[in-house]
Amino acid sequence: MIDLNERSKEKKNFFNRLTIVYLFFGILFSFFIYQTFSLQVSSYTDYEIASLENKTREILIQPRRGIIYDRNGNIIVNNKPRYNLILNPSMIEDIDKHISEIENIIDLSEKDIIFVRENFKSKAKLNREIVLKQNLSQEEIAKFESRRYQFKNTFIEERYSRENIYSELFSHSVGYVGDLSDDSLELILKDQGLNPKETIFKYSNGYLTGKTGLEKIYDKKLRGYFGKKIYEVDASGKLLNEIEEIPAIDGEDLYTSLDIKSQKVAYEQLDNRRGAVVAVEIDTGAIVTYVSSPSFPINAIANGLSSEEYNKLANNNDKPFFDRAGQGRYSPASTIKPAIGLYGIENNIIDWKYTIDDPGFFVLPEDNRVYRGWKKGGHGKINLMDAIIESSNTFFFSLAYKSEIEDLVDHLSNFGFGRNVCIDCFIPDSGLLPDPEWKMNKLNFGWFKGDTVNMGVGQGYLSSTPMQLAYYSAFLAKKGSLDRFSFVQNVASKKDSFVSNNLTDEDWENIHKSMIGVIENPKGTAGRLRNLKNYVVAAKSGTVELVSTETKEDYKIIREVEGQRDHAIIIAFAPMPKPKYAISVVIENGESGGSVAGPVAIEVLNSLISNE
Amino acid sequence: MNKLLKIFKTKIYFDQYLFISITLLSIMGLIFLYSASQGNIETTIKQSFFVVLGLVLMFLLSQVDPDFYKNNASFFLILSISLIILTIFFGKEVNGAKRWLDLGFFTLQSSEIIKIALPVFLAAYLHNKPLPISLLNTAISMIIIITIVNLVRIQPDLGTSLVIFIAGLYILFLAGLSWRFIGASFGIIILSLPFIWNNFLEPFQRQRILTLLDPTADPYGSGWNITQSKIAIGSGGIQGKGYGSGSQAHLDFLPETETDFIFAVIAEEFGFIGACILMSTFFFIILRCFYLAVNARDRFCRLTIGGLSLLFISTIFINLAMVVGIIPVVGMPLPFISKGGSSLLSFYIAFGIIISMATHKKLMQK
Repeated sequence: MIDLNERSKEKKNFFNRLTIVYLFFGILFSFFIYQTFSLQVSSYTDYEIASLENKTREILIQPRRGIIYDRNGNIIVNNKPRYNLILNPSMIEDIDKHISEIENIIDLSEKDIIFVRENFKSKAKLNREIVLKQNLSQEEIAKFESRRYQFKNTFIEERYSRENIYSELFSHSVGYVGDLSDDSLELILKDQGLNPKETIFKYSNGYLTGKTGLEKIYDKKLRGYFGKKIYEVDASGKLLNEIEEIPAIDGEDLYTSLDIKSQKVAYEQLDNRRGAVVAVEIDTGAIVTYVSSPSFPINAIANGLSSEEYNKLANNNDKPFFDRAGQGRYSPASTIKPAIGLYGIENNIIDWKYTIDDPGFFVLPEDNRVYRGWKKGGHGKINLMDAIIESSNTFFFSLAYKSEIEDLVDHLSNFGFGRNVCIDCFIPDSGLLPDPEWKMNKLNFGWFKGDTVNMGVGQGYLSSTPMQLAYYSAFLAKKGSLDRFSFVQNVASKKDSFVSNNLTDEDWENIHKSMIGVIENPKGTAGRLRNLKNYVVAAKSGTVELVSTETKEDYKIIREVEGQRDHAIIIAFAPMPKPKYAISVVIENGESGGSVAGPVAIEVLNSLISNE
Repeated sequence: MNKLLKIFKTKIYFDQYLFISITLLSIMGLIFLYSASQGNIETTIKQSFFVVLGLVLMFLLSQVDPDFYKNNASFFLILSISLIILTIFFGKEVNGAKRWLDLGFFTLQSSEIIKIALPVFLAAYLHNKPLPISLLNTAISMIIIITIVNLVRIQPDLGTSLVIFIAGLYILFLAGLSWRFIGASFGIIILSLPFIWNNFLEPFQRQRILTLLDPTADPYGSGWNITQSKIAIGSGGIQGKGYGSGSQAHLDFLPETETDFIFAVIAEEFGFIGACILMSTFFFIILRCFYLAVNARDRFCRLTIGGLSLLFISTIFINLAMVVGIIPVVGMPLPFISKGGSSLLSFYIAFGIIISMATHKKLMQK
């Protein structure tokens, strides 16, 4: 038996020990209370957000892309509805029975059925829809609609595909759409403060983005803004109910300055020959015609092409994907002559009365090298106007010989050479306006006087795109003041004026007169065009020599190879005396500017002018 | 009437403080459980049945004289061990664990019974041993404790075995375990921690401990439970989201809402205020136990009240600390609140014994 003393000692001992454990737990519980306090009070906001993010899911709503119109309000690119048959798996109990019932009215492919069977359970669990068949025919839609009361949880849903109404007319100008890469999508959504998660698509082929042409340049405008539906979800991600919907803002429509009719004429006139046509409205700098030939089927590219078909296009020697109108580089050849003439007038090297005696060739005094004209025996005594009409090389060789290369380069730059002349073109090319510095850097050679002489007839290193030639043409027509080109109406653009103290309106009129003479004068190089129209056209043709030959006999030999034949080129503006449209046409290996490129230019001008 | 009251006071053994606070806690528990079970009426009614049964059992057990528990402690212990062994052989397997004995009308979690029987037995065994407890008595006690703990651990039921282990140690400590022994044990435990880590913990248990150290490292894997529990508690704020409106609990983000994680549901729906009210009730009971233990009539009663109340405190702490993410996840119910008949009844039994020991006064012995 424990005695009394022992008892009180034991009691005291017990009290102490119990107190120790209680204090120990007191400390532990204060940790717990601190933790609870910090979770619920100090970090409340963080956890409130986390809880909100947990229970809500944003599903994006894809906006509809803007429609693209021509200048008369005709549709070029549209959103064509397609119809898909979709199921709501969470409401369907026996999927096999359901499929066999639907198969009674609509044919289903093995692939579709397998897809539905495989995904049915997971989609049902998450309360998501599932596509049973894509792209229903009108007949299938009618069949289904008449029996839709049998299928409460099956719907027909409209989805779009992006379609260009004209398969090949706008391939290089309007361009096409394609898949949006994940990175770009993330950037676009970030811009709108959204996260890429799930999307309700309006297009059958998912996220779209402009890949080329206007679809690319005006992508942001056409694209619109994603909307979103906010759902309450459980931990498994199943959609429970819709909390909020912020509708998508559809893309803006794009009203272009392109003219479908002239586009069609240009395309038909080029007739799959390698070449390009660019035509503009002179007053506004609005591009009305922009065709590169040969073209390619644009909808097929946008909506998926078999690799065999694609390779056939990509390996075609005529390079249909290449945009000759904006990126093809060609020597301006004789079409440069009006600009060279204006250089002579401007710098008081010549005047309109100044004449030279043209023996058919020019001898460079420095090294006695001979530069030939196209006409054997030459044009005789000739002034500037006749030199343009008859396209005398000698006149311009000698004029260029008297010029300073730096001044000449500045002068030609004003006409659009060597510059980007378009504000909304897809990958515009600036051509090449060579100067001594360029030659030294690129070719490691000094500038010869002969290089300047060659430039006087638009040969040599100087090269330009059909777009630049059209700009040059319009610049001549507008007498030295012109907006940069654009594909859309009413774009505030930068005016590029050619500032000259020395050129008078009369000088410009004389240039116009000379260029009218190219067609109307009996000695003109493009006389064949005279009867193709019923208004007056100012023009200048050119023939781009690809291989230098001394005689016509020599040329006959090299022309056996098609790729060695001269390019045909023409610039023109009409109707005179108040020109409205300017145009350039290039036909590769077409040989004659006046008689091959010329008719194309006239037919396109006809379609534009008769439209009025 | 007065006479009736007098009889009630002299013949009936009753502690109104504990009785009222436990009843209150039980009612709160039912209210919480209804929401935590997504408004499952069946679960709530079943739990109510156990609550009523428990309260009755608690009242009846408090009428029994402490000497009865002391004299029959060995019998209860052997009975409980038999139940554990039966469970190991014939138990119902759920999620890879054999913890339940199917009694037809009721599935009994046998480890919940031994959780009470072991401290009572140890108190009975040690109550007349001189101070400090001799090495032999310490060794005998430790062998019994470790044997039982291992029987439970192989079910496996880490949480309960841990509680049984510390419940045994409490009695040893309160009974006067020598400080020298305590110091030596601590040294050995700390040195053997790596060994325990490698040999005694299942891979998923190790993972739980690692997860605790950094739950964000793998929020959708093993850290999911803790992360979601913290979100639930934190998003409750001061006032809570309102009864039945806890999105974490009701949209399945929170695991085990009815059992281990019920505190997260309470904190989400009733906020810091609700958590504090619940805590206050627990603290009241805990402090009342301290008072009763210190003033108990003899050493056996002191040890039993002290041991059982520390068992109660430990269970609460392990559950709460796990839910707020300061200790690893171990299966541990919140007493009087979590769903589960066995665990619920075990605490009513424990408090029935506590009240019996606190209210039966004995004349001073010579």
